[in-house]
Amino acid sequence: MTEQSQWLREQIEDLAVRQSQFTDRAFWLALSRLVQEQGRRQEQLEGEIDGRTWRPDRW
Amino acid sequence: MTTLVLVSHPHLADSTSQQFLKASINSDEVLWEHIESQATIDIEKEQAQLRQADRIILQFPLYWYAAPAGLKQWEDTVLTRTFVYGDHRYPLAGKELGIVVTTGMPAKAFQRGGAEQITLDAALAPLAAVANRAKMKWLPTFAIHQFAYLDEPAKLQLVVDYQRYLTQTQPDNLQNKQAWFAQHLPAMIERLPLEQQQAGQLILTAFEQQQTDLEALTDTLGLIKEQEDD
Repeated sequence: MTEQSQWLREQIEDLAVRQSQFTDRAFWLALSRLVQEQGRRQEQLEGEIDGRTWRPDRW
Repeated sequence: MTTLVLVSHPHLADSTSQQFLKASINSDEVLWEHIESQATIDIEKEQAQLRQADRIILQFPLYWYAAPAGLKQWEDTVLTRTFVYGDHRYPLAGKELGIVVTTGMPAKAFQRGGAEQITLDAALAPLAAVANRAKMKWLPTFAIHQFAYLDEPAKLQLVVDYQRYLTQTQPDNLQNKQAWFAQHLPAMIERLPLEQQQAGQLILTAFEQQQTDLEALTDTLGLIKEQEDD
């Protein structure tokens, strides 16, 4: 989870709890889960880029 | 995209899961119909609806490893040989067929060695064969197990998972999911009370930024992989 996605999730969840209609709350909470998935994917991509750039054989 | 939801249930009013799903639909792109509440099946109307839809959803509780009798009757009446393939025009070709099925048993029961000893894919094989005959695209089944036991977080998640199953582009990957939420966000922000709309806009901007960042990383990784291949 990146800092940005963590912050974004907090904003979304804060909005979600203030929705009185069930389906509205459901939407914002689902968006929060998607942002979590984005954060996870971002970390994985950054990790893979690091790993592939780390090539001691080409030093 | 137009989605047609055909619900088969002999006692719809008594079904909390079906009422819940109906209340979850929030799109004017979705046409909902209850098969058993029609006194007679209007073949022309049903066929016209099928022709117009891009995605057709058959939704029902699983009774004895099959759909309720009402759906079979609908199939036998509406899906005439001439309509489906007899005139070699295949009007349903390329359309997506999705199944929303509710079961009284848990997911783990539907596997070899499980309590039911049969997978849902196996139980739904006759419908998949119809889809194949009509040259339709079979979507992964959307199963809801033991609805009555779902807690509130699970029900909240079900609302949007179901909405996405009805209208989101397949396959259900991160990219298509992002696009679905991006498409729905503006209308959801408009629904917010006035004092919350600014927060909503801020979320939209940050969400779009996350999307852009992910795309940039994916591109970078693609370039690195290309260079490695050289």
